[in-house]
Amino acid sequence: MSDQVKKASILIVDDEKGLRIGTQRLLEDEGYEVETADCGEVGIRLGTSKDFDVAVIDLKMPDIDGLEVLKEIKTTFPNTICFIATAYASYDTAIQSTRLGAYSYIPKPFTPEEFIYQIEQGLKQRQLILEALRLKQEREEKLLELASEKSRLNTIIKAISDGVIVINRNEELVYFNYAALRFLNIRDVKIGEKVVEKLPKEISEIIDKIISKEKILLKTYTTQIEILPNNELIIEAACTPVPNPDGSLAGVVIILSNVTQFKKIELIKSQFVSMVAHELKTPLAAVQGFINIILDDSLGVDKEKEKEYLTRSTVRLRSLTDLVNDLLDISRMELKTKHREIENVNIIETIKSTLQFLEFELKKKEIVVDTNIQENLPIIKADVSEITRLFTNLISNAIKYNKESGSIYIIAHQENSYVSIKIRDTGIGMKPEEKDRLFNEFYRAKNEKTRGISGTGLGLSIVKKIVESYYGKIEVESVFGYGTTFTIHLPINQN
Amino acid sequence: MALIAIIDDDPDILDASSLVLKSKGYDVVTASNPTDGFKIIEERKPNLIILDVMMDEPDDGFFLAQKLRRENIHTPILMYTSVSKAIGMDFNKSEMVPVDDFVEKPISPEQLVAKVETLLNKVGEKI
Repeated sequence: MSDQVKKASILIVDDEKGLRIGTQRLLEDEGYEVETADCGEVGIRLGTSKDFDVAVIDLKMPDIDGLEVLKEIKTTFPNTICFIATAYASYDTAIQSTRLGAYSYIPKPFTPEEFIYQIEQGLKQRQLILEALRLKQEREEKLLELASEKSRLNTIIKAISDGVIVINRNEELVYFNYAALRFLNIRDVKIGEKVVEKLPKEISEIIDKIISKEKILLKTYTTQIEILPNNELIIEAACTPVPNPDGSLAGVVIILSNVTQFKKIELIKSQFVSMVAHELKTPLAAVQGFINIILDDSLGVDKEKEKEYLTRSTVRLRSLTDLVNDLLDISRMELKTKHREIENVNIIETIKSTLQFLEFELKKKEIVVDTNIQENLPIIKADVSEITRLFTNLISNAIKYNKESGSIYIIAHQENSYVSIKIRDTGIGMKPEEKDRLFNEFYRAKNEKTRGISGTGLGLSIVKKIVESYYGKIEVESVFGYGTTFTIHLPINQN
Repeated sequence: MALIAIIDDDPDILDASSLVLKSKGYDVVTASNPTDGFKIIEERKPNLIILDVMMDEPDDGFFLAQKLRRENIHTPILMYTSVSKAIGMDFNKSEMVPVDDFVEKPISPEQLVAKVETLLNKVGEKI
């Protein structure tokens, strides 16, 4: 016992002084720490104030009965090993004291060897109890940890925006999160339910394939499914077999992700590419047609006709060049790779120089320009080439879509922290449905009045991109048959 | 000699196609939009129609073809296309697209003449 770090503590409760002192000395010689009580009352006080390893309680004491002391100690410290010491051992008290939690009896009188032996047995028992307690506590802590780990994992899975469904090899639902239900557009599922019938055919076929395989391949099978029509909701399902530790199939985990936006972008991209291809191919086909005719001797085209076809081919090729340039501008603007030279831009000057640039077109159609520009119109900070481009596109549209001898009104003034510029024409105007599509790439209003007006279909989408890149706004009003007004608001305080 | 109607909104294509066919002895009428196209078909009753698929709208060539068939006009139609396949209008001769043949622009004079002759011969056999 002496090599123990902490000495075992023993309480002796006995009204017999000689025995008290005798056992105390005996136990202290063995290396134990001993406290004594000379009556039941003191015994209860000491025994309930500290968790003794062992208590030896005399059964018969003048004040309080030993069984009462036993009961009190056991209530407070159930793990104190209690011995009942008595000369009046009887079957009844043995049963009674055992019921109250006594470990054993020590019949009086006893030899030191007997006594020490009993105490050692008791201490062994105490150690067993404490060890068991420790293990139990450890296990509970582990369980708690496990439970919180599980709930943490649960929280994580619930929080991710992808849908998760786990089924076992019997095709019963083991786990799901709410994103999964949302993506599959199903309301009500229960754990343990045969869920495969509720899943889209594309997924259940993959699951069948995985489950029916003899050897599991750790491979993910993916499929894309249109859950709601008209590309409202498209999900991608990735199904992966989950193996048991022995390599057999435990189930299948299905991860669902919303790919609707990607699909939409893909669609827009491919539509754009088709439109570009069409716009590029149309003039090419015309030019190719003319060249074929000129090269084909059997058609007998005369010199004059030949020259006309070559001239018309040149016009088509020029429009093709314009188109390619516009496309490059749009692409640069979208990629924001265009190098901007921000400087003070005088809007009046820019409009004047644009009108000069378009003088030939204005004269050809005999169009009158009327300007009403506020004096001291604030200077804005911008790239002058972009602002020039903006006015060129808008004013050349106002010419192209104007009637012969029509007018263009340009009104510019400050409106709070914006410079507002109105460009109004007296042209053919637009129908409401044409107005809505106006800023779309390649959109050109097509009707009997626009026939013969050429353009790339990109002018206004470039205008819109420029205006928006300066955090400005563009508005359009139009009356079919009477004319169109574009209003541009550009912020004054530009950095 | 057979009369051929060409309906296309591109005046250069109209002129080039007309020139080729006229030089082979065909008579040609043209229109630059579906409405006028329908009119010349009703009035002139051509033996063959060459129809561009994309005019004012990306598919109004289809609509004109369908309209003609509904009106019980069964004149063979040769359809001009440019990039319709890429747009997803991958078509075959069908109820939806009641035309007799397709040709992708640009087209060489020999190719155009060959297609026209084939279609006209087919009609001839039927009659």
